Amino acid sequence: MEDQLLKWKLRRGSKEALAQVYQKYIDSMLTLAIGLLNNRASAEDVVQDVFLSFARSARDLRLQGSLRSYLMTSVLNRVRDRRRRLGRQALRTDAAEPVDPACESAGPEQAAILAEEAIRLNGAIAELPDEQREVVLLRLKANLKFRDIAKLQQTSIGTVLGRYRYGLDRLRSLLNGEVEP
Amino acid sequence: MRPRKDVEQIIRTKLNLVFDAPRRDELLARALHEQEQSWKTEPARAEPVIRRMIMNSPIVKLGIAAVIIAVLGIGIVEFLGTGGTSGVVWAEVAKNVEASPSVIFRARGTGSRDPNDDWPNAYRIFWRSAALDRADWYRNGQIHRTIYTNLDTKTLIGVLHDHKMYNKEALSDERVQQARANKGWTDPQDLIKMALSLEHHALGQKTINGVLCEGIEATGPDGGTARLWAGVETGYPVLVEIEGIKGGIRTTGTMDQFRWNVDLSAEGIEPEIPAGYEPL
Repeated sequence: MEDQLLKWKLRRGSKEALAQVYQKYIDSMLTLAIGLLNNRASAEDVVQDVFLSFARSARDLRLQGSLRSYLMTSVLNRVRDRRRRLGRQALRTDAAEPVDPACESAGPEQAAILAEEAIRLNGAIAELPDEQREVVLLRLKANLKFRDIAKLQQTSIGTVLGRYRYGLDRLRSLLNGEVEP
Repeated sequence: MRPRKDVEQIIRTKLNLVFDAPRRDELLARALHEQEQSWKTEPARAEPVIRRMIMNSPIVKLGIAAVIIAVLGIGIVEFLGTGGTSGVVWAEVAKNVEASPSVIFRARGTGSRDPNDDWPNAYRIFWRSAALDRADWYRNGQIHRTIYTNLDTKTLIGVLHDHKMYNKEALSDERVQQARANKGWTDPQDLIKMALSLEHHALGQKTINGVLCEGIEATGPDGGTARLWAGVETGYPVLVEIEGIKGGIRTTGTMDQFRWNVDLSAEGIEPEIPAGYEPL
């Protein structure tokens, strides 16, 4: 309901609606991009490109589904473009720089704990093969359905479910005892 | 080893990264600027493929202006090459359309970028004059949107009947200027002028809703077509059909149920907000 109203207002050039979409989704987009790239600077570039492009084309929005899915899928596609453009080697070098999470809304002490946990999580997720990492992040951070992820990966739901299970199992062993739920 | 559910929960709740405040503000400012620029520089992006196809060539755009001036200003053309046996003088049709201060009509369409994608279940009724514009959107026989603009008072009213909500906002001078310059693909006057200015051939006569009409079919440089049917006796358009294929997608638009030269006033067409509707 809320997204429908936002889309309606965006098509009429509402700045307030764009600002609302921004506040609602920008951090989730960044979290997904960092998870996929394991590099904060590159992830910020990706999110910036996606959102500016969205702002330019918002008046033409003819979107049936949710804004969240649309924006998250746009982030994924931009990350894939970047991978293709830079090549795997460049990305590995790119990813060598550790993620520096900003936790503006938390107090200094809590922020430090959250930052440490996020670094560990990202480090573990970065260990996964690309396909497993995409499935895990799209499912858990973008809230996409498995059948939609299957379409994005151009494969069967069975394969996607398999990647999800393998990914979680690998994370279970990597994170064992390190981060409390 | 912790259960899978724990890992899922950890990622859902603990993996949350945010922009730092200056970067966040900077990006939002840039996004708002981009949004504003998109309204300034591309006023006609909501139009369907067919109109863009017809208008694609800059030569055609310039040619249209020249031909309209020739047809309407000098008045030397009688049939615009549509055949001497015709009962319709197309120059008169062009003149009638141009002179009509207001019009009411229905518009339907299909195509990936078309706002009426679910035709034939959806259509819009338009009330148009130079300063006033109202569109009622229907789906499955039920009204679900009303959009009204008054360019003189610079106001926009939107009513979301399906959500029982409404929105009233002031239009900036820029948006008023854009709206005056381009009313979008559903501007029959613009389309008719365009069709008459392009290469076209006669379609003969047929009766549409009890009115004897005569038609022409115009073809744009990219193969898009526009068919215009006008009443033999009245000299006013009765039906406009546009069609084209681009990027493998067939796009169509239909305008009919025309009422030309009606007396539109803001008092008559400004939507009333039904009781119980909440502001957006």
